[in-house]
Amino acid sequence: MSGKNEDLISCSVNGKTISVPKNTSAIKAFKIAEQDIAHYCYHPGLSVAGCCRLCMIEIEGNPRTQIACNTMVTEGMKINNQSKQIKEDVQWGLDFHLLNHPLDCPICDQAGECGLQDQYMKFGQYKPDMNQKKVKKAKVVSLGEKIVLDSERCILCSRCVRFTDEVSKTHELGIFNRGDKSEVGTFNGKELNNDYALNTVDICPVGALTSKDFRFKQRVWYLKKAEAICTGCSTGCSIYLDYNEEGFFRVRPKPNEDNNSYWMCDEGRDLYQHLNKEKRLVKVYPSKKVSTSNFAVSSSSSSSSSSSSSSSKKAIKYLKSELENIKDSTKIGVLVTGQYSVEDYKEFFSVLKEKNSINQIYHWFDQKNSKNDFDDLLIRGDKNPNTKGLLEVAKDMSLKVIDSSELKNTASNLEILIVLGPEYKKFFSTIDEKLEYFKQALQVFYFSSVKLDSLDSISNVTQIPLQSLVERGGTYINYKGLKQKLSILPQVIPKILSFSQIAKVLNGEKIQLEPLFLKTQPVKDNQFSFQKN
Amino acid sequence: MKVNRNIKTYFLLSTFSGMKFTFFKMLKNLFNKKKMITLNYPEEKYKYSSRFKGTHVLTVKKDGSLRCTACMLCATNCPAQCIKITADEHKDSSVEKYPISYEIDILRCVYCGFCEEACPVDAIRMGPEWQTPDKNGSKFNYDIRYLAYRPQLKGGVESSLDDKERHSWGI
Ligand code: SF4
Ligand code: SF4
Ligand code: SF4
Ligand code: SF4
Ligand code: FES
Repeated sequence: MSGKNEDLISCSVNGKTISVPKNTSAIKAFKIAEQDIAHYCYHPGLSVAGCCRLCMIEIEGNPRTQIACNTMVTEGMKINNQSKQIKEDVQWGLDFHLLNHPLDCPICDQAGECGLQDQYMKFGQYKPDMNQKKVKKAKVVSLGEKIVLDSERCILCSRCVRFTDEVSKTHELGIFNRGDKSEVGTFNGKELNNDYALNTVDICPVGALTSKDFRFKQRVWYLKKAEAICTGCSTGCSIYLDYNEEGFFRVRPKPNEDNNSYWMCDEGRDLYQHLNKEKRLVKVYPSKKVSTSNFAVSSSSSSSSSSSSSSSKKAIKYLKSELENIKDSTKIGVLVTGQYSVEDYKEFFSVLKEKNSINQIYHWFDQKNSKNDFDDLLIRGDKNPNTKGLLEVAKDMSLKVIDSSELKNTASNLEILIVLGPEYKKFFSTIDEKLEYFKQALQVFYFSSVKLDSLDSISNVTQIPLQSLVERGGTYINYKGLKQKLSILPQVIPKILSFSQIAKVLNGEKIQLEPLFLKTQPVKDNQFSFQKN
Repeated sequence: MKVNRNIKTYFLLSTFSGMKFTFFKMLKNLFNKKKMITLNYPEEKYKYSSRFKGTHVLTVKKDGSLRCTACMLCATNCPAQCIKITADEHKDSSVEKYPISYEIDILRCVYCGFCEEACPVDAIRMGPEWQTPDKNGSKFNYDIRYLAYRPQLKGGVESSLDDKERHSWGI
């Protein structure tokens, strides 16, 4: 093959000529050629099972139709799935899947993103030929704390079984019995509770496996998806956040070959809760040493407070005036976690460095896990999504990074301690130990987007709300240096300052607060205008 | 040409011709009450067909519990977006999903009947009641108690579709 890459072979898919790497299955070739092909059991992250018989193709020169997921492409192969024969094959395959399938769509959480529904619209028989009663199986079976199984809806594609065998390697699931009595289930007494169990809910093409957490909360067609990253650990899995006007409802992994492939851990799926109103820090909690009137006094010196100025603006102005009173920069401590984005750090540190000549930061790293812990799949011991980014920014700005345990000795010298707090208490199991240091400092300003109840009892802490992860956006650098940028979503809670606004206030600049509350699409002007004749 | 146009657009003329029409209609109605086409509402009432599509009714099952499975198809189909449903898990696993709250903001409803059409289980119907005025500040957000069990319905309207029957048919 002269002039051709040795590892590439060319083939034609539905008349479209493409070149694919050697050892590519026909179904992958369809994906590469961007041609539709029906399938259930094939999943790019799992081994091939070839049991759903839906991915039928015709190969030129071969009289019989065959499945695409278990056929390897060879040089010059001509594949197509457009013929009448294929359509009939898929129709009948689908009809067999539906023989015993219950009429559950109205109460099934999968409706709207269900493989059966999708394929039925294309290949449905619409006239059932079956005159036997359906085989009834177990419904609403709890498979542990997280997952509910409905055996009637299962089409026995075995994706979930292969997941527990090949990816999580926990082997809880199996397919039991034979024929139309076959059922998915767990082996005696076992529960499907591994750290990655909820991935089976994602890969189940039907509504047989549903997540207890998301069950019946929303219909999926009401949800919009946003791309983000999980901030549960330094892997920083790519995720989809599903949300609507009522809030955030679930987290799903977004396929990303460079990072998390098709999976994410179950812990990270709680991320959405921290973005909703209930768990958020919605207003300033002033420390008991300063009354709110202090904020007002300090702000009156600058511009007169307009109606849009929020209490958090006042609190930051107060922080600014307090910082100005301290001449010795060693009396100011800055304690940061790796939970914020590169842009956030840059903005925040540069103003502190410029105005208050700060030249060191305390790095708050959860002590319980060592940085190098890794479970060989995704979960890492470093529970911060952006430790690398933080250290990089500190190096660029030539700030000295001190471990936070040093605070034990230095906290009592500090007049002001500024904390960029941990966002998720679940991952920061040692939070409460750290809070002991806070009591020794004269004043603590705690920035966080999530409400931390244990702070309320400490009298010298002022809590200032931050925008949440997806409201701030920014770049996060994961354990291996992969940079991921977050998209910015509408604000859930109004009048919370962004990092750049905080930096501006600290810098003495004026800011304009926009009253943002779940920005909706601008309504188009009514274009219709009546014209006589 | 210009003068003509001005006369045409001179409002007073049309006003008078309108008043003339009204006046003769009034005289006609005064002397021939039977031929009058309007009703003296509320003293006189029109009798609509019993199939009139008025205020919604949520149907019930044989045991009197709500038929609705909280599938949200009505809420999805509603052009006025005035249906709000909160679903929850039912203790009885054969029911599985049911609404813990079902509200229709009746002031926003346009009585199109799309909800009725969308429902897969005959759980919502448009009933024959059409007089639903109320005082300022009263509750126009109809909830389950009103939609399914208001006194006029005498214990609830039974749905034509029962899950138990469906299961016994094997579908
Ligand atoms: S799995 Fe799909 S087809 Fe089956 S009940 Fe659920 S939504 Fe309907
Ligand atoms: S439960 Fe879902 S993923 Fe598992 S075999 Fe059945 S259909 Fe496939
Ligand atoms: S009648 Fe129409 S507008 Fe009223 S609730 Fe039903 S779907 Fe909505
Ligand atoms: S009334 Fe019918 S369409 Fe509406 S949620 Fe209930 S079952 Fe679904
Ligand atoms: S996808 Fe090929 S047989 Fe299921």
